[in-house]
Amino acid sequence: MFRSALGKTLGFVGYTIQYGCVAHCAFEYIGEFVACSGPSMEPTITSHDVVFSERLSRHLCRIENGDIVIAKSPFDPHMNICKRVIGLEGDKVCTSGPSDVFKTHQYVPKGHVWLEGDNLRNSTDSRSYGPVPYALIRGRVCLKVTRGTSPDPSHIHLNL
Amino acid sequence: MFRSALGKTLGFVGYTIQYGCVAHCAFEYIGEFVACSGPSMEPTITSHDVVFSERLSRHLCRIENGDIVIAKSPFDPHMNICKRVIGLEGDKVCTSGPSDVFKTHQYVPKGHVWLEGDNLRNSTDSRSYGPVPYALIRGRVCLKLWPLHHVGALNQSPTGRVVKRSD
Repeated sequence: MFRSALGKTLGFVGYTIQYGCVAHCAFEYIGEFVACSGPSMEPTITSHDVVFSERLSRHLCRIENGDIVIAKSPFDPHMNICKRVIGLEGDKVCTSGPSDVFKTHQYVPKGHVWLEGDNLRNSTDSRSYGPVPYALIRGRVCLKVTRGTSPDPSHIHLNL
Repeated sequence: MFRSALGKTLGFVGYTIQYGCVAHCAFEYIGEFVACSGPSMEPTITSHDVVFSERLSRHLCRIENGDIVIAKSPFDPHMNICKRVIGLEGDKVCTSGPSDVFKTHQYVPKGHVWLEGDNLRNSTDSRSYGPVPYALIRGRVCLKLWPLHHVGALNQSPTGRVVKRSD
């Protein structure tokens, strides 16, 4: 009786590991849901919005200027950031603010991207920490699933 | 007959996907075999050596000074680099060469590491491209598997530039 219980437990653990791995690979290669927090992407994405971030563009190197991406923070490997891609490698980006008299520019180095939040006044992004290596990008935000505040709670936006 | 062949094919594909996912997760969370190329880590690792790189240290944030790590290249997301960790975040690293008269230093910023190859004369590393974000590290090299007469753990840094920590 003990042996059959042990056999069933091991079988259960084996199935859990198997389907856990399949789920992990689905999140790794297809996409994942992300709950955003912070004001740096307002008004496009507000705090507590849930978005869907697809992984295929990142793996196939199809990230383009204007895409909103989820990336690992360069300063904290456990945190993610959500910003818009302003420039790809080789692009010339403006590093001065809109109110500065003298405009300064910089070229984005190879293998890096320039990220900025849509809420320029309240966003820590490449303007402070410089270009971000492409390999830190996790996925491209393609859908927003808003919650609660809009009249239609399950409203899905496609324009980002 | 067609239906049974289709059923068998789908079953085979299903099993392949399942076990492919399990293998992928094993490589992702346990470790992977890496074939190194290039002279930047000589004499510790020479070109065409095969090493085993474990992933647990990276996920548990247990990478320490003196460890040899595999990381994604900051300049090419498809390439990996194999270097030694000289300094962790907050450490003061020497950015000048051993033959320079004036020594210059730099503090490693938060969330970054300072990587250098053991073959200082022939290695492009943090001395040229600056500190590397910790999140780019894939794993820690713990065993050399090929060539067979050198199987085993890897040596300490021959350069003497690894930052010593008091804790």
